[in-house]
Amino acid sequence: MKILVVDDQKANQIMLEGLLTGMGHSVVCVDNGQRALEVFNSVQPQIVLLDVMMPVLNGFETAPRLKELSGNVHLPIIFITALDAKDTLLRCLQVGGDDFLSVPFEPVVLQAKISAHGRVRELSYSLAQKNKTLNWHSNRMEREQSVVQHMLHNALRENELNKPYIKSYLRSVSTFNGDLCLGKEGPFGNYYLFLGDFTGHGLAPATGTLPLSQAFFGMASRGLSVSDMAAEFNQRLLNLLPDDMFCAALIIELSPGGERLTCWNGGIPDALVINSSGEVQHHIPSRHMALGILSTEDFDNQVEHLFVSQDHSVIAFTDGVVEMQLADKAMLGEAGFTQMVSRAWQCDPEQAFENVCQQLKQMMDANQQIHDDLSLVVLDCKRNAPVDSKQSTEHNHLPFTLSVTIGKREVEKLDPMQQLVDSLGKLEALKSHKTTLYLLFAECFNNILDHNVLQLDSDMKEVLGFERYYVERQQRLRQNQDFAIQIDIHYTPVEERISFAISSNGECPFPVDRTGESVATNEQLFGRGLELVKNFADKVEWREQGRILFVDYDLSRPPA
Amino acid sequence: MGVTREFSADQKQLVIAIKGKFDFSLVQEFRQAYSHVGDTQPLVIIDLRETEYLDSSALGMLINMRKSLGSSVKGIQLINARPDVKRILDISRFDKMFTIN
Repeated sequence: MKILVVDDQKANQIMLEGLLTGMGHSVVCVDNGQRALEVFNSVQPQIVLLDVMMPVLNGFETAPRLKELSGNVHLPIIFITALDAKDTLLRCLQVGGDDFLSVPFEPVVLQAKISAHGRVRELSYSLAQKNKTLNWHSNRMEREQSVVQHMLHNALRENELNKPYIKSYLRSVSTFNGDLCLGKEGPFGNYYLFLGDFTGHGLAPATGTLPLSQAFFGMASRGLSVSDMAAEFNQRLLNLLPDDMFCAALIIELSPGGERLTCWNGGIPDALVINSSGEVQHHIPSRHMALGILSTEDFDNQVEHLFVSQDHSVIAFTDGVVEMQLADKAMLGEAGFTQMVSRAWQCDPEQAFENVCQQLKQMMDANQQIHDDLSLVVLDCKRNAPVDSKQSTEHNHLPFTLSVTIGKREVEKLDPMQQLVDSLGKLEALKSHKTTLYLLFAECFNNILDHNVLQLDSDMKEVLGFERYYVERQQRLRQNQDFAIQIDIHYTPVEERISFAISSNGECPFPVDRTGESVATNEQLFGRGLELVKNFADKVEWREQGRILFVDYDLSRPPA
Repeated sequence: MGVTREFSADQKQLVIAIKGKFDFSLVQEFRQAYSHVGDTQPLVIIDLRETEYLDSSALGMLINMRKSLGSSVKGIQLINARPDVKRILDISRFDKMFTIN
């Protein structure tokens, strides 16, 4: 132990230094209080023995300033005093002294006091060290939390909970919410809603938000089905979360016209479908295990379809709501909450959401605490027809002519028209026309193949029936060895047109009259092909007496 | 790609989803999907959200399904068709034979 002895008497200094060194301590001696303050930082004493009566700065004045220098770490100060008067001893303690030792003293008493105060000093020192570490960790934690918060905030930037037909209220126990509410409109005006409740609350469950929200926004913008979403989310969380963590979830899709709900509920309390008079029309019960538990083989992604009306609203909530404590310590419960909701809607459907939130807030305030994260979402089924926001954009593509020859191998092994349209669809200008272009190419290609190559008469569809016609077609395809169908495509970006001519090396031309109109009569069920093409293309004509089928399509036509 | 089928828990709805290309290459799969509808007179829902391509053979298959199911089902609905697909259905006057929404 390092001990600072402050005494103006050389004899005392020598005596104390001798004793303390003998006990195994290292000792520094100074003559007065002023010197003690000067050497304090360089010596870093662990205990101070302080004389009372000294020149320059006496003990009473020195003690509090030494304490101050020591800062957060306790510095034991033991006064060495020759005086026996009671008031002096009292003063020693008042100015911050921890103990005193009256001379003359027994060396064993000195030893006992030094080791007792040494222990206190050690304790204080290690406490201070631990506080420092704790502080460091706490700062670091704060910094990391703010980074994660930033990431979560960005991950949810795509969240579409601001639509007029959706209202949500989320309240979390800690900075991070273990509940998750996501919404997004799909490509055809359908709306997807996800309500999740991770086990626990705080940072750990909140991190599950990242992969889940990414998957949700991605799948919703592609218009995928609720059952595919459920399976994908389960797979992701299964791979990601530890065994004791999972996510109860409700996934809902509302159709563009607001007439149909598709739902998957795994572990979320029964969501309610309520009408504007406050009557519960449907329950959306939990029929599945939460996400992130079952393996892909055991996972059940079966969904439920409900038919709803414009005046219906879906009310979904996490168990934080039903576990809300009432004044008498009982829980609100599903029945209690349903009643609260019914009354609010009866009263005024327009104000019902705010009304219910207000009641929940009052309960929370009354109880001073909430035990679980809590979420409430209301989705109105009233929808306006989606507005088509497609705008014509200018495309800077090169004009091109493309020639493709398709033979037996391609027809049997590949999917030539799909590949062709997939490739054309890579061009931005053609992308939104893929479905229509496929129809045009597929119908014309099949016409040439069926009539000119395989010599299948349209009448045969009538005679043989739909499926047997195709069996016959397969058979003829097998027998026919070397045919070639040529497609010449011409694209002009400035005129916004794509045209193509299909011909074959087949023997049999399509029956056409001199004007190029097909002679084949109206075929009720099956011969829709070319008729359909005529509806979409600007021009459809047979050339070279039914050997070449020419189609011209206007890309500037507004979509459906 | 392909056809998936799924009955609702109460057996009152049969949802058939068609992914990717809907044409004659799916004829077997599609027929299987609507066979065995049982005697609960379910509503058949054809989910076209992931149908990107279709041609007249697909229209033929839908009409065949309608003939074959007849009154053993409550009805047939075509849902979630993309605008381009819906236009093809509209032009083919499918709204007269099916409920499209």
